[in-house]
Amino acid sequence: MESDEIGVLVRAAAGGDSAAWKAIVDHFSGLVWAITRGYRLGPPDAADVFQTTWLRLAEHLDRIASPERLGAWLATTARRESLRIARAAARTTPAHDGTLVGLGHVDDHSPEQAVLDAEQAMLDSERARQLWRAFRELSDRCQQLLRVLMASPPPSYAEVGAALGMPVGSIGPSRARCLDRLRQMLTGKVSARLLCTHRYEKQRLESIGV
Amino acid sequence: MSDETDNADLEEELRQVVAQIDSVPPALLEAAVGALAWRTIDADLAELVFDSLVDQDEAALVRGTTHGRMLSFRARTLSIDVEVTSKGNSRMMVGQLVPPQAVTVDIRHGDSVITIETDELGRFSAGPLQAGPTSLRCRTGGDTLQRPVATAWVAI
Repeated sequence: MESDEIGVLVRAAAGGDSAAWKAIVDHFSGLVWAITRGYRLGPPDAADVFQTTWLRLAEHLDRIASPERLGAWLATTARRESLRIARAAARTTPAHDGTLVGLGHVDDHSPEQAVLDAEQAMLDSERARQLWRAFRELSDRCQQLLRVLMASPPPSYAEVGAALGMPVGSIGPSRARCLDRLRQMLTGKVSARLLCTHRYEKQRLESIGV
Repeated sequence: MSDETDNADLEEELRQVVAQIDSVPPALLEAAVGALAWRTIDADLAELVFDSLVDQDEAALVRGTTHGRMLSFRARTLSIDVEVTSKGNSRMMVGQLVPPQAVTVDIRHGDSVITIETDELGRFSAGPLQAGPTSLRCRTGGDTLQRPVATAWVAI
């Protein structure tokens, strides 16, 4: 969507035009949702962040100075609220082993595994299931980045940067690195952790000229 | 070097998988469309300026008292301090307006509004409320409040 088009919609929605508001929601909801999911919030928390973000925008419509930044504004709001809720959740539930979570580790009987199973069941081909399984074994940061990049319609780098709090310049290289890793996991069918070890070993051998 | 064409293909495949698994739930989309109806055009906005959940340093947490979550909202003419305590999915709220005054407060949350009055010292309490996005709208009636003041929405 062009920024002058967004500008027209924002002004119309600020005047109470519900069709214009719906057009804004339709266009950016994929991005906002992807952010909440990228921060690994469970369904009720993700729903709270999603709804809070839209309620905030409704109150801010006549304060949006530059419509071309609307996506980034929504992304920033969704990120902050996701972090807020993630922090609230961390306070009220027993702490997990951070290192395991950090590796995106999935054990056989965890709630995480149940979610993964349910997700797999929604996919219609073995290839898709394989791809999703490999994706879920990526590092948290890679999953988060790719999840936001996969939002529909595809977000701009400015929006992705705002969504993840990362400099725009590092998105391209990180994206390539995460996709490389995903592809290697698919072809080599090795787990994320083994892969890290392999790569490290390979680099080490290369560095000493073997 | 990274295989750029392969990556583009893989990304397209992943995009389709994500679309199958994790698109926005229709009920949430509908609620977002409905959010415009909550827009207050006649009110000053009181921004969230403090949230103990994110603004309190770790040391304070460790010293930690067992108080609830403290939220402060500030508008040009009015500040609103709220303490929220949780029990499961229900929330209790105790608050204070500064400057103190007796006004009507609409607690907007979920699909409903709960209306309460503050006492002459600006104090109020409410609950149990369902967990979720909430905003307080303070209506005129007090001595100093010329326009209504609505707080930023925050999930409690």
